[in-house]
Amino acid sequence: MNILDIDSLTMRFGGLLALADVSFHVARGEILGLIGPNGAGKSTMFNCISGVLRPTEGDMLFEKDGKLMRINGYKPEKMTHFGVARTFQNVRLFSALTVLDNVRIGRHCRTKANFFGAVLRTRSQKEEEQRIVDESMNWLKFVDLEKFVFNTAGSLSYGFQRKLEIARSLATEPRLLLLDEPAAGMNPKETKSLIDLIHKISDLGVTVILIEHDMKLVMSICRRLVVLDHGIKIAEGGPREIRANPKVIEAYLGRGAADA
Amino acid sequence: MNPNLKTTLKYLLLAAVFVYPLFSFANEYVLHVMVLIMIYMVLAMGLNIIPGFCGLLDLGYVGFYGIGAYTAGLLTIHFGLSFWVIVPLAALNGAIWGVLLGAPTLRLTGDYFAIVTFGFSELVVLFLTNEIWLTRGPLGLPGIDPVIIDFSWLSTLIHPQWDWYWEFIGPQPYFYLGLFLVALVYVIMGRMEDSRLGRAWFAIREDSIAASSCGVNLLTYKVIGFAISAAIGAVAGAFLARWTMFLSPDMFKFWESFLILCMVVLGGLGNFKGSLVGAAILIALGEVLRIILPALNLPTETRFLAYGMIMVLMMRFKPMGFFPAIATQSRKNPILIKLKKDLGSS
Repeated sequence: MNILDIDSLTMRFGGLLALADVSFHVARGEILGLIGPNGAGKSTMFNCISGVLRPTEGDMLFEKDGKLMRINGYKPEKMTHFGVARTFQNVRLFSALTVLDNVRIGRHCRTKANFFGAVLRTRSQKEEEQRIVDESMNWLKFVDLEKFVFNTAGSLSYGFQRKLEIARSLATEPRLLLLDEPAAGMNPKETKSLIDLIHKISDLGVTVILIEHDMKLVMSICRRLVVLDHGIKIAEGGPREIRANPKVIEAYLGRGAADA
Repeated sequence: MNPNLKTTLKYLLLAAVFVYPLFSFANEYVLHVMVLIMIYMVLAMGLNIIPGFCGLLDLGYVGFYGIGAYTAGLLTIHFGLSFWVIVPLAALNGAIWGVLLGAPTLRLTGDYFAIVTFGFSELVVLFLTNEIWLTRGPLGLPGIDPVIIDFSWLSTLIHPQWDWYWEFIGPQPYFYLGLFLVALVYVIMGRMEDSRLGRAWFAIREDSIAASSCGVNLLTYKVIGFAISAAIGAVAGAFLARWTMFLSPDMFKFWESFLILCMVVLGGLGNFKGSLVGAAILIALGEVLRIILPALNLPTETRFLAYGMIMVLMMRFKPMGFFPAIATQSRKNPILIKLKKDLGSS
C-alpha cells in the first residue's frame, strides 16, 4: 500500500516551471531519498506535499484510513493533522522559546484545550497539560536532547537545533515525515548520530522522505531514490542503479561518483 | 539583591498601595491618578496579546476601548443596567467587533494590518462623533451613573431594617474596583500565556510558517487573540464610563492607542507583567509633564514629544523593552516545577 502518490504534479511560478509533470509513489514504511542539484524543485515538492504551496496541476494522494485521498489545496495545519510533518531547509525553530515549549507546540494539533479551559484551569485541561509535558519529554529523550529542556532553542548548537526540529515534527504524530536536508552543516559525528536517528524513526513505522546532498548518508539509508533536475524527474530506483545512471551522473553526481 | 529580599519588598510595596486609600492623608488627586494608571494597566495587558504574543502591530486598540465605554455608557443611560451586567456585555461587544475586524483583515501581514487597525480606530471616533442620534456626538454622554452595588433585595429579605446598597462616591471604591479588575486580567493573562492557546500565539510570533506546520491554524488563533484583546479593552472602557460618568469621542483619539503601545513596548513586548510597569511609568510621567510644561511656558501637547523621545531612546538602547521575557509564566506551573525537580535529581 502506498502512503503517498504523486501523479503528474506541475508547479508553475509565473513563467518558471519548478516542477514539470513529476510522478512517483511512496510505499508505507520506506525511506525515500529525493535528490538532485540545487534548484531542481526538491523543496518545492516538499512545500506542495506539506500544503505550503498549491500545485498548479496534477494530483497528490495521501493514504487516510486505508483509502487514498486527494490532498491538493489543504492548508499546512490540515496536512499536519492528516499526519504529514516536515522540517525546513534552514531550521525554523521558535528560537526565543525553550526547547520544551518548541516540542509542546508540536503537540498542538493532537490536543484541544481552549480559552475557557486555560482560564478556568479545568481538570481536563490540567491533565492534558501533564500529558503534553510527558509526551514532549519522551520525544526529547528520543532525540537525546533531554539535557536542554529549559534552554532557549536559539542557544542550542546547529546540530542540536536540527534534532530539536525533528523532535518537534515527531510530536505531531506524523505518518509521513519530510526531512529537508537534515545533515546540512553537521560534522561527521553528528551525521552519524542523525543516521541512527532516522533509522529509529523508521522503526517507529513512520514513512520518511529525505532531501539530502550528503550522498554517503543518502546511499546508506535510502532503499529507493527519486532524482529531480530542473523540475523533471530524471531517474528513480535503488542506490546502485542511480549511481550508475548516466543521466544522474551528468546532471548531479559528477563523473567521479560512479567509481566512488 | 537576593531574590528573597526582592519578593519581600515587592509584597511590601503592594501592601502599601493596597492600604494607602484607607489613610486620612490619602490625597484625592493621587488616588485619581492611581485609578487612571490601573485602567491603562488593563489596557496595556490586553493590547500586549496582539503585538506582544502574536507579533502583529495593532494601532487601533483605542477603538475597542471606545466601543466598550460607549456600550457601558449607553446601556447605563437607557436601560439602567448594573455595572456587573454591563462588564460582560461590553466585553462581548468588544469581542464581536474584534472578530468582525479581525476575521477579514488578519490575513494581512505587517504594515498592512497596522494600517487597517489604525483606520478602524479612526472610524470608531468618526462614528461616535457623527451618529448624534445614538451618541450625542461631540456633546458627549453626560450623566452616567456611578458603579452601584445593590444587594437591598437580599438584605430586606433577611432583615427589613437593613439596606445593602452602596453607591461609589469618591476615588476610594473605584480604586479597589480597579485593583480587582487589574488582578482579574492579570490572572487571565497569566493562565492564557501558560496554555495551549498562549503557546500557539508565541509560535505565530516566532515563526508563522513553522507554527502552521505544527498544526496551528494561523487565522483562527490570530482572530481569537484579537477578540480577547478587544474584550479586555472594552472592559477597561466600561470601567472608564462608570468612573468618569462622562464620555466624549475625543477621549478615544488615535494618540491613546499610541500611548498604550508605548506602555507595552516599554514593559517588553510579550511580557504582560512589564505592561503594568509601562502603564505606571507613562501615566505618572504624563502627570509630571502636566505640571512641568506650563512652568516652562510650553503647551501641554508638547508631552507627545516626550513620548516620542522615549520611543526613540527605547529603540536605540533597549529595543526589547525593560523586561524582555516571553513565555515565562509556565515556569510557575506545578507540572514544570515537578519536571525540573525530577530532572535535577536524576
